[in-house]
Amino acid sequence: VKASASLKLVADVRDLQIVDRDERNCGIVDDIELAGKPGGPLEVAALVVGPGGYSARLPGWAMRLVGWIAGRSAVKVPWDKVEGVTSVVHLNVAAGEAGLARAEARARRWLPGRG
Amino acid sequence: LKLAEIFLGILTAVGGFVDVSELVFMSQAGSRFGYALIWVVVLSTIGIMVFGEMSGRVAAIAKQPVFNLMRNRLGLRLGLITLIASFISNLITCAAEIGGVALVLQLLTGAPMRADGGRRHRRLHRHRLVHAVQVDRAKLRPARPVHAGVRRRPRRHPPALGRDRRRPRAAGSARTLQPRPDRLRLFRGRAAQRGDVPLRDLFLFVGRDRGRMGSQGPRNQPADHHRRLRRSARCSPSPFSPARRSCSGRPGSRPRWSERWRFRPGCRSARSGSCSRLLGMLFAIGGAAIETCLANAYSLGQFFGWRWGRHRPPREAPRFTLSWMAVFVVALIIVLTGVEPVELAEYAVVASILVLPLTYLPLLLLAGDRTYMRVHANGLLSKTLGWGFYALIVVAALAALPLFLLTSGGQL
Repeated sequence: VKASASLKLVADVRDLQIVDRDERNCGIVDDIELAGKPGGPLEVAALVVGPGGYSARLPGWAMRLVGWIAGRSAVKVPWDKVEGVTSVVHLNVAAGEAGLARAEARARRWLPGRG
Repeated sequence: LKLAEIFLGILTAVGGFVDVSELVFMSQAGSRFGYALIWVVVLSTIGIMVFGEMSGRVAAIAKQPVFNLMRNRLGLRLGLITLIASFISNLITCAAEIGGVALVLQLLTGAPMRADGGRRHRRLHRHRLVHAVQVDRAKLRPARPVHAGVRRRPRRHPPALGRDRRRPRAAGSARTLQPRPDRLRLFRGRAAQRGDVPLRDLFLFVGRDRGRMGSQGPRNQPADHHRRLRRSARCSPSPFSPARRSCSGRPGSRPRWSERWRFRPGCRSARSGSCSRLLGMLFAIGGAAIETCLANAYSLGQFFGWRWGRHRPPREAPRFTLSWMAVFVVALIIVLTGVEPVELAEYAVVASILVLPLTYLPLLLLAGDRTYMRVHANGLLSKTLGWGFYALIVVAALAALPLFLLTSGGQL
């Protein structure tokens, strides 16, 4: 499915693995941001990636727990950076350019220099 | 090359599937029911094959690993519940396996399982009241609560029946109900038939009484076996270390369970056979511990979309690497608290049964989805077997917790 084609957003995109240009896993589509005006067309603005994207999907107490464990950060990946959707969401940029490499970089600091 | 692949497959099967949970549950079932439940092993092996084949097919065609798929199909809420339950189950299993490795190492080397030589562990158990039910072979009657870990006077025990007259009876023991342990001879091999180191001791090792293992043997054990054990207590608990006196041999004394794993002096074949068995157990449980550690990291990586895979260098998959390291440390801490590994394994198995229908269902749905799988979707046989086993595990999951609670973890 091309990014421009019509698709069932919730069933086809949400909770799918995101893969960057170099075929590296870089997160899951936690939510989808829509944009539009009353009476106008509704368009997909961005994919929301990160625990902050759970806020509309989990009850308050669960969200507080998630926030305590993983924080509430979320990265928005503009829809124009989506190359296509198969069983994964393909990006046309590298994970770093889409802002999806921060958590990995933070975790890397805990590991020894080589490996 | 084919032969090497088959060999590798067998190694993987042993390393990945034979772990402490299997050893515990199979041994307990064997000690209580003999061969009456052997059909369960056959049935569950077919179930594992169906599940494994479907997982591999889905991963190869849909390019989606199980937890990724589960989240996509079940949604975030139910997916998170499944992830947490699975994580806890795997963590407990990992702790049990690390404990199992420690137990086998103790049997092999004679070194204490814990750094303090088990003193703290024994102290913990001394004050623990275990409400056990003593079962008479002739008539079932409830027994007095028994203090686990406290040395009991032999005269307090009711007289045992038959050949077990000389020793204290097993209290709250699953082994009190053993029908005919001699059936286990098939597994023991020729060395065991000569009365050397039977697999029965493995049953003691993983048996129901756990901490009380050392004091009470199986009820149908010949009395001379006890005399032999007491005599052989003069040997080292380790097959590799020189002989030393480690058990008093007094009537009513409580040799530790590890001291039950004895070798008749001078019998090399039994010694080497038992060492081989222990080494096999060490590699199987050790391999399973590593696999379980990684399994938790895989689950997290797949669920949250991280880079994962053991073939990746740690810095390429840092969250995955940190996850399995954290799982290992937490599991180790659990073991160091002094909890019995066998008890942990039981809890882990019950937890994994509860979570199994949730992890199995998305896989089954996707394997039958022709949009994703096209020509590789489930056929009639796969569909029948898949749904048949799904119904079976749902029934097992529904029954597991009530049964576990009603039978006090299988002790009644």
